[in-house]
Amino acid sequence: MKKNIKNIIAIVFILLTGTTLKAQDAKYIGAMQSGLKMFSEAKTSADYVAASNQFERIGTQVKTEWLPFYYAAYTQLINNTTLTNTDEKDAAMDKAQELIDKAAAINPKESEIFAMKGYIKFMKIYVNPMARMQSGMGAAITDLETAKALNPANPRPYFILAQNTFYTPEAFGGGKTAAKAKFTEAAAKFDAFKTSNPMMPNWGVERNASLLAECK
Amino acid sequence: MKTILIFLILLLIIGESQAQTLIIGSVKDAKAKPVIGASISIKDSYDGTSTDSLGKFSFKSSESGEKIVLFSAVGFGMDSVKIVLSGTPLNLNLVLKEKLNALNAVTITAGSFEASDSKKGVVLSSLDVATTAGAVADVYAALQTLPGTQPAAAESGLFVRGGAATETNTYFDGLLVKNPFNTQLPDIASRGRFSPFMFKGTTFSAGGYSAVYGQALSSALILESKDLPEKTTTDISLMTVGAGLDQTIRFKNSALSFGGSYINLKPAFSVLKQATDWNHEPTSAGGTVTYKLKVAKTGMLKSYTEYSKSDVSLNTNDLNTQAKSFFSNDNKNLYTNLSYQDYIGNDWKINCGFSASNNSDDGEQAINNYGRTDRLIQAKATVTKYIGQLSTIKFGSDFLSSHRDESWNGLSRSYNDKLTSAYAESDIFLSNDLVARIGLRAEHSSYLNQNNFAPRVSLAYKTGKGSQVSFAYGEFFQNPDDQYLVQTSNLDFQNATHYMANFQKMKDGQTFRIEAYYKKYNDLVKSAPNLNNNGYGYAKGIDLFWRDKKTFNGVDYWISYSYLDTKRDFSNYPSAVTPEFGAKHSLNIVYKQFFSKLKSYVGATYSVASGRPFYNPNATEFMSDKTKPYQNLSINVSYLTSVFGKYTVIYASVSNLPGFKNVYGYHYSNDGQFRESVQPPALRNIFLGMFITIGDNTYKN
Repeated sequence: MKKNIKNIIAIVFILLTGTTLKAQDAKYIGAMQSGLKMFSEAKTSADYVAASNQFERIGTQVKTEWLPFYYAAYTQLINNTTLTNTDEKDAAMDKAQELIDKAAAINPKESEIFAMKGYIKFMKIYVNPMARMQSGMGAAITDLETAKALNPANPRPYFILAQNTFYTPEAFGGGKTAAKAKFTEAAAKFDAFKTSNPMMPNWGVERNASLLAECK
Repeated sequence: MKTILIFLILLLIIGESQAQTLIIGSVKDAKAKPVIGASISIKDSYDGTSTDSLGKFSFKSSESGEKIVLFSAVGFGMDSVKIVLSGTPLNLNLVLKEKLNALNAVTITAGSFEASDSKKGVVLSSLDVATTAGAVADVYAALQTLPGTQPAAAESGLFVRGGAATETNTYFDGLLVKNPFNTQLPDIASRGRFSPFMFKGTTFSAGGYSAVYGQALSSALILESKDLPEKTTTDISLMTVGAGLDQTIRFKNSALSFGGSYINLKPAFSVLKQATDWNHEPTSAGGTVTYKLKVAKTGMLKSYTEYSKSDVSLNTNDLNTQAKSFFSNDNKNLYTNLSYQDYIGNDWKINCGFSASNNSDDGEQAINNYGRTDRLIQAKATVTKYIGQLSTIKFGSDFLSSHRDESWNGLSRSYNDKLTSAYAESDIFLSNDLVARIGLRAEHSSYLNQNNFAPRVSLAYKTGKGSQVSFAYGEFFQNPDDQYLVQTSNLDFQNATHYMANFQKMKDGQTFRIEAYYKKYNDLVKSAPNLNNNGYGYAKGIDLFWRDKKTFNGVDYWISYSYLDTKRDFSNYPSAVTPEFGAKHSLNIVYKQFFSKLKSYVGATYSVASGRPFYNPNATEFMSDKTKPYQNLSINVSYLTSVFGKYTVIYASVSNLPGFKNVYGYHYSNDGQFRESVQPPALRNIFLGMFITIGDNTYKN
């Protein structure tokens, strides 16, 4: 009996600590899943901001995970595409920049973070391309090249660069012909890419395919 | 055993399902407007939500006890309140303060037009200055399409709000440029020496400018040079008027550029029929060296040196003798500047600079030899302290040593002046919507042995989203022109008092500005009966500006209109009249469009101005005659392509395409018997150029 009680205490102890650990994890996963759901269902700018806020809250709470801040930045980037006022677009991109910097502070060697950094810089240029193109392109490309170097299997830096070529006027070295080869390269990378975890970044494949189709 | 297990399982279940508290409420700004997309969270938990389109929120929290609610939004600060969670629903009415930041704060706009790529809420970009049709990348010609200025085709420089060209000064990284124009020729406008592509920011102030700048009665043109270039590049320019080569080498934390150019107008002038009787068409050769160094994290050192030499000679008609009169000019210009800026700690910034220039003109005028040398040395230092998010206080000092030497057939005269100045200025943000700038500048001239004190005040108030009103008042002093100073030191500073009120509205690619001003001149130099400071005058008017990038897809245009009423008694005038640079109405329409399919950037500028007064010795009243109105339509096309795989721009511009016959004024013989009109050298000017950039990718990061 005594032995039994000891065993029970041990089991309960394991069970209890397991539950608290699990509860933390479950809370984090639950909150992330609800954030991802908000993101996937978002239609208006307010929806994207709400999703971004959700991710930012999670990031602030867990402190050691880069994914929440990464998604908080990504939702702000997508939010930018729903806006028309240039000041608001700039504000959204500045916020995205602030959030991705927080992600980078947690994990300074993550390929996905560098890809997002470059993407944000491109989007910032698109707000006022005439004025920002010349001075901003170099830094954006540098981030994306870093993203490639950190993880050559990550398809997103390839896709982001291809997309930039697609939207750059032919006169400035862009256009569909130039973009086609890049989308094709990105498509191969997307085909080979596997995520280790369902919450890890896994976006871009559909858009890459549809833009590639437009190049044909 | 069983009971223990059941008990434990129960415990676990209870542990997972605690009591939840409903929290509802709203977030508003200081003006009680709902804040959309604000984030609300319970500190140290996952619980929280965002406000909806009405600024309302609602969420449940399973936390309990005393907690802190954090709330924030883009464009606002972060704030917090304490709450107690006990299961009883809570209703929170939260108020967020707008963050004081450059994005939404009011800016002082009275008097000034700023072209910048990095700052928000500016009217122009650097590219606008470089691509205005008719200007052919001359900063000064481009600025003549802005309100407050007027077309000046027969003179160098900017005529701003009834001021003479000498009343506008140019500042390069904060330092005064004594000779910003190429060789000065009789009755022909010269281009500026500096390429607009060198600058990241250009501020054109038609009045009421900062106490940091002195020695300009009417207007200040403030040029801020670019920081480190991104890449190592080679730029080749081939033009109908000459050729240039620039090499930029980028190192890790620094960059070195050097370049040279040779300009010869003879081939172009042989095709374009010239009214001017050229003897030796203008030629010039020059070189530049630029060095930029990033010092530690925040410091930036910049240096720029330019040397050029130009020659020209021509024949003018001497109306008194009815014979040709020879004029030649040989100009040598050396300009160098060095500036350093850095942040010290979080809230201090220093700017210091040094510049030196030597400009000499020698030549013949009729049968006489003339010579003129200007030397300027300047040292300047400004310290800025940041207070809070936006407010600043700055103070500084500058020292200008200027020298002029003039000779005429072996006779010579000269003067030396040491001008010592001190200034202090504070930008005080009373809120995001209200800013006051209060400044004082004091100067002492050793040559004149005089002091001046110039208080300046500006106010700006944000009246709504994108709209604001500004007011400015200021005293401005300037030394008499060199031509007078070499004759006597018995003169005083000239003075102008500016008052202006401005309204500006910017929204979605459209900008509207209206500004009314009154300017009073005192102590202007008169050259008769002897040199004295008894001149005076006034200028008042209204400037309008409308820019629209939105209405027509891909089209960007602006319209500027200036109304000017001015009179002055100065120089050799017998009474106060409207001077020759006082056209009553000036209108400019500037149009730009990018044709993506054609890879071409097309621009057009149409300018019209009412006639200018001129002196007719036969008229009963002084300066009562006026020329006919001035008109000009210029177009340019930039075609983007590649040559041998290198990024290339092919540029063509035609000024005065319809061939309007403009007359800027008349020269009379002393007896009034003969007159000759002042005209541009050619009816139309055509310019073709090819600019190739070879980017070397050896350096990355």
